[in-house]
This record gives sequence, structure tokens and C-alpha cells, in this order.
Amino acid sequence: MFDGERAHALDAAAAGLGVRPGMRRGGVAALAPGARMAERDLAAERAALEAAARAALRFTPRVEQAGDGCTLSLDVGASLALFGGPRALGRQALAAVRALGLRARLGMAPTAAGARLLACRAGPGVRRRTLRPGTLARQLDRLSCALLPQALPHLEWLDGIGCRELGQLRRLPRAGLQRRCGPALLPALDAAYGRAAEGGAPYVPPPRFAARIELPERSDHGEAVFRQAQRLLARLCDWLDARQLAATRLAFALEHGRGRHAGPPTRLDLALSRSAWLAAHFEAPLRERLSRTVLQAPVAAVALDVRDLSARPALSAALFPDPASMREDHARLLDLLRARLGAEAVAHAAPRADHRPEIANGWHAGPPQRRPPAAAPGAERPCWLLAEPLPLAVRGDRPVHGSPLRLLRGPERIECGWWDRPWTLRDYFVAEDERAVRYWIYRERDARPVRWFLHGLFG
Amino acid sequence: MSAASALPHPALWRASQLATRAGPCLGTGHGRLDAELPGGGWPAGALVELLLAEPGVGEMRLLGPALARLPGDGPIALLQPPCPPHIAAWAAWGLDPARLLWVRPGRPADALWAAEQILRHGSCAALLYWQAHARHAWLRRLHLAARASGMPFFMLRPAREADAPSPAPLRLALSPAPGGVRVALIKRRGPVCVQPFVVPLEPGRGTRPARLPHAPVDRPAPALPEPGRLAPALAG
Repeated sequence: MFDGERAHALDAAAAGLGVRPGMRRGGVAALAPGARMAERDLAAERAALEAAARAALRFTPRVEQAGDGCTLSLDVGASLALFGGPRALGRQALAAVRALGLRARLGMAPTAAGARLLACRAGPGVRRRTLRPGTLARQLDRLSCALLPQALPHLEWLDGIGCRELGQLRRLPRAGLQRRCGPALLPALDAAYGRAAEGGAPYVPPPRFAARIELPERSDHGEAVFRQAQRLLARLCDWLDARQLAATRLAFALEHGRGRHAGPPTRLDLALSRSAWLAAHFEAPLRERLSRTVLQAPVAAVALDVRDLSARPALSAALFPDPASMREDHARLLDLLRARLGAEAVAHAAPRADHRPEIANGWHAGPPQRRPPAAAPGAERPCWLLAEPLPLAVRGDRPVHGSPLRLLRGPERIECGWWDRPWTLRDYFVAEDERAVRYWIYRERDARPVRWFLHGLFG
Repeated sequence: MSAASALPHPALWRASQLATRAGPCLGTGHGRLDAELPGGGWPAGALVELLLAEPGVGEMRLLGPALARLPGDGPIALLQPPCPPHIAAWAAWGLDPARLLWVRPGRPADALWAAEQILRHGSCAALLYWQAHARHAWLRRLHLAARASGMPFFMLRPAREADAPSPAPLRLALSPAPGGVRVALIKRRGPVCVQPFVVPLEPGRGTRPARLPHAPVDRPAPALPEPGRLAPALAG
């Protein structure tokens, strides 16, 4: 990774070949001919740090972004009991950052500056956590001066006088140090050792959420796209948590890259029937939607926007499942079914006040409608209504469906109003064939010769 | 001391007895059928297979009373029914039509997925699932999902699947009969039921219209025990 002309960050394989931060491009190319060089993306780094800060807000309201652009400080003193102690909290914090697709190193100390210095300690098996000020001072004494950002401009001079560790720096005469190194070094040192107050502005999440993430490489594989969308959802849920909001509609845009040949982004609207704020509630419908979506071109980036926000409803902490939580569960099931099968595949009854059965028997994709059906009370109705009435053959004046039908009950006359179209004049009968299967059939009254139709099964 | 008290475990029963069911059962509303089913009704939380000679033989009128007396007001899911459900018929059974949920998946794989999701969420009062062909592994998976959810789960399949093995603890073959439906118990936890019996579906009405010139010949035959087998008696 290059920041301008100088190497900024590198992986273990490059370090093994002798590449060091600060080298020029030519030097790196000579040492590691096969290295992949990438330009540093400051905007992406800022976005990643902001996402991590939002994730950290679930542990404490006091999160600060340090000036160096890669460190977060969390004041967790008041949260230790809630999260089960410092060790458990540290584990959860690392897991939260990992869910965003980032990596972090965790330092823990009674002072924020001390924790930051401990976290900078590289290498496996190094102690980075301490809870006692005495231990912290002993640990800090052994750290290199180069870890303190304020000491960096004076590093050569400090090195020249044999002052390599913070402990040695601390023992130098304060007045002389202040004169030579300026006013910034001493307060930073004191803050790390807990001798001066620390203070900074806590992080406040922005009022609007919009996030975009680029795939490592363009992919038309649904699962790879879903993984990136999952990271966006993790960010969204952290933001919702921080602002105590719930979302109903999410708009995903799958971008197919820039350039002449790239088509417009594929839009994916995820509408839930109930507002949700947990990642799992968005993930299941999103996975089904993505598996149903046909990608026209490989996806280069995924962007997420939130459309409908609402205040989060208060949760009731009941021991037994109550009807409200059952309804929540059911709404979630309907969302899931709609996401995979399509909105029109999940239908509720919407009966219409009409005498014609095919009109009265209305189904729609929205929520169920409570309106009494117009059927006459006591009238015998079949359980299934054929989508299209089936014309029946007539043999010897009797309708035939497999075998001649015998009319059991009827006629029941059903007509439409004179203003209605299509024209409907029917006599309905309950009929039975030779094996005693029941049918609901009708005869068209205005047709010559007589025409019979099968309209329903008694099931 | 009766024979049943010597077998205290509910999973054990004598070959001549119907098993007692530990879980909840849903009365079928047909006394003749209740007497033949272990536990005295449709078992909840198990796969129940109804094998139909053809759609419309009377399966819904057989299930109707049980569905109408389902506890709670949860929705009743109809997954992949053969025809559009007729709302007026359900209302006539005393069922609130707002409880009906009609799910029409496009492909059989989607239908299986939907059935599993409905069972896993457990927010519906019952699931009725029409499926022409189903592999044994799928059935087993659905049966386990139903057992975990405790939801009444009926699977309606064609009669030609009767010979295929199935993990369902209760399998009924239905065929049309005058005035009712002929039920053959293919599988139950209890003695083999050799003789199909007719469950009348129209109480109070004659099985034949009075216009017929002759008296009804075929009467519902009792389920006679096979020679050498004892008549089913309820255990416990």
C-alpha cells in the first residue's frame, strides 16, 4: 500500500522480503518483484474507521476518534459489569469489528493514551492489557519512543542522547524537554501515564445513513455479493442502534463498475412489513432476494440507502411468548416468503361483495381484509373454485365429467346486475359422478343449446 | 391390573392396542375416525399424510371441523393447493377467512423451502401442503420440522404414493364414497386396519337423494378385525 511515493503498509510476506515502510516504489519493486502495489484510499479508511466507531457505540457512549485516523478510544469503565468483565468485553469488541470486515488490535489500560500505546505494540504474545496504573507505568516504560506520535519529529535527537524508551524519556528533566521539543510532547506523555486529564469530543453518529462498499474483485456470484451486503447491514444496524431507530425499507444498488460498457446499477428494494433493527431480520429476506435476482453483469460495488425510518418500539420483556411477538414472527415469515417467491405468491383473502363467485372470491397480496362475504347464509359452497370454468360435455341431456353427473341439489340461481359485464345468468347445481365425487356445476340459462360448466370441487 | 398399566412408557403399546399419544391431539370432529386414530384425533407436531385418489374426493370436508376448532387465531397456511381456495366455503365452516394464507410457489423446490420456513417459524396455526412427488429425505426433514414446531401439518399427496415408504406416523388413503369419504388407514401406531371405512360427511342428510327408485345398497361397513387379530382397544 503506497501513500504517494512511499510505502505505507505491507503484509508479512513483503516484510519477509525486506520491504520496510517509507521505502520508495523503485526500491520495493527491486526487493519484491511480484508485489501488488495499491494506492492508499483515505476516504475508504475514514469510512472504515467511522463504521468501527459506530460499532463501538454499542459498548459505551464515549467513543473518540484519535487524530491519527486509525485509532478509536472507548471509555468502558461504566460498561464492564454489563458485558461480563474486561476480557469478555474485549472479545466482543473485536468480534464487532471483525463483522465489518476489518481487523483491529486491542489495548486496554486505565488511560486512553496508555491503551493506545499498548495497542501499538506489535508482535504475538505481547502483553497489551493491564488494569492497574502501576503495571501500566512499568509496561509503558519499556515501549519505544517511536510509538508516541508527538516524539516522532525529535526521534533522531532522542536516539542521539541514548533515550530510546518512554521510561528514559520520562526521567529527562521536564523543563529542558519542554524547551527542546515544544509544548506537545509533555502533556501527551503525562496523559499516557495518567498524570494529566484527557479529554476529547466523543463521536456522534451522522444523522443520515448511506454506505457503499467495493467488492475485492468484480463478481457475479450471489454469495460474494451477499457477504458484502452483510457487512453493509452490520454497519446499518450499528447506526440504527446508536440512534435508536428502526428501518422498514432498504434500497440496495448493485453497481457494475464505471466505464462505457458498464450498465446502470441493479436496484434491489427490500421492503419489510414490520420495522426491524437486527441484522438477522434483514439478512434472511435479502439472501432470498439475491438468490432470485439475475445479475446482468458482474458486481463491482454495493451501496445501501435507508428509505423509511421510524422510532424503535419499546420491547416488552415477557417470559412467555405473547400474541404481539407471534404477530412479529408471522410478519417476518411473510417477508421471507415474499422475498423468495415474489410478492404475488403470498395471498390473503379479500372477499368482495358480489353474488358471482369468481368475483367475490378475491385474493390479494396485501394484508387480510375483514369484510363479510356476500354469499347467502346456509348456501352450500365448494372448497375449491376453478380458476376458469371448465366446459362439460353433454350426453343424453346430462353433463358428463368422466362419467355422467347426477344432480343432487339445485338449482341456485345466480345473476349479475344489468349494469355488470360479463353477462352472467347461471343455475348452479351440486352434482355427483358415479364414484360419488362432488362437483359444483352450472348451466348457462341464456344459451341454446344448453351448456354446462364445472366451477368448483367440494374437496 | 390391566395390561396397559404393565407398559408404563407412552412409546410402548401392544400390537392389539392403539398407541397413546403424549403430544396434543386435535379432535377430527368425526366420531368414527376419532375412534380409529391413536390419541383420538389428528396428531399435532407430526407429518400426517392424506393420499387422495384425486383432488376433491372430500379431503377438505374431512379436515374442515378440525381446522375450524384450531386453538388460537393464527393463520392457516395453504401451500400449493390444486385450485384457488373458495373463501365462502371456509366462512361457512365458521372459519375467519382473514386467517387463510394462500402460498403459490412456482417450483417444487420453492414449495419445500416454504413448507420448512412455515414450520420453523411456527407462527401459523396449521399447514396444509399439496405436493405430487416428494423424496423420502424431504418428507423426513419436514416431519422433523413439524415435530420441533408442534404445529398440525397435513400433506396431501396422490394415492399412487401409498406404496412409497414414508416417515409419517399417520397415513390415510381417501377415496370417494356415497355420502362421505372412504378412509383406509395405511399406517398408524396401532393394529393394522384392514378394512377401509366410510366417514359420513353430511350429518342429517340422506346419503342418497330420495328420488332414487331403490333403497341404498352400500352401507358403511365396520372395520372388521382380520382373523387372528384383536379388535383395537385404546391403551391406557
